[in-house]
Amino acid sequence: MSEQPKEKPPKAEKKVKLPAEGPRAKEKAGRIKDPASTHVDEHVTHEDPTASLIPNTYQLSPNKPFPITTISHILKEEITHRLRDVRYDPVRSREMTLTLCEVIRTRMKEFMISRYKTVILVHIGQLNGQGLQISSRCLWDPNFDTFVSHSFKNTSLFCSATVYGIYFE
Amino acid sequence: MEEYQNGSEVGVGADSLLWFGIESVLGGDDYSQTHVNKWTAAIVERCLTQLVKINKPYKYIVTCSVMQKTGAGLHTANSCYWDTSMDGSCTVRWENRTMYCVVSVFAVCIA
Repeated sequence: MSEQPKEKPPKAEKKVKLPAEGPRAKEKAGRIKDPASTHVDEHVTHEDPTASLIPNTYQLSPNKPFPITTISHILKEEITHRLRDVRYDPVRSREMTLTLCEVIRTRMKEFMISRYKTVILVHIGQLNGQGLQISSRCLWDPNFDTFVSHSFKNTSLFCSATVYGIYFE
Repeated sequence: MEEYQNGSEVGVGADSLLWFGIESVLGGDDYSQTHVNKWTAAIVERCLTQLVKINKPYKYIVTCSVMQKTGAGLHTANSCYWDTSMDGSCTVRWENRTMYCVVSVFAVCIA
């Protein structure tokens, strides 16, 4: 259902500077930052703004690659567990998409994948004989950035979940 | 799709950019199973090239969903783990008599 042609980003001139505060879970010094608060649904989770700036590490590539197989396994597990015998219902499906997004994001945080930003996309739809096409294209660095996708179908609904992992330099 | 969490990136311009991208590919056509693959590819490509022309240091993810109108329901949600001050997303919904189209752009800052 989805296709992924990849392109390299255009070369941009980079200046050496202190990196902006970002969603880094673990630094080389071993500090772990916890978000100040976590809410389900429409709230934004912010890192502690008073945390000190991190000095430049001059690191060009990730220490560990994005764990594709593990995340694929998580997606399969979560989606099948939550949707196996569920009938399509507009209200519940709406909540389920948000729940699935939050759950997948929480489980991904447990892996403490350093220097990777993630985008999680979940589609749930009713099976009504309609045609549907979902595609995506990305402008990124194909050496480090990647995605994982999983689709699920039962008698009354289908679900498609995609996780994109983007390396943050 | 009730909240846009945007950093400095896309802003108002992206909405119209995506809209014209969709309109130029789908405007005036009816849903066709044989063509839909070509359409979605054309939409994402067009939107991506327009975004690149803005010339900002961002990586982009563009997704497009085209669904035939049969009365079926579709729900989409996204959740992102990123720097909320610098990164952002934009989603545009378009429809005509026979189909819906939803295009989302996620922009992630480089360094």
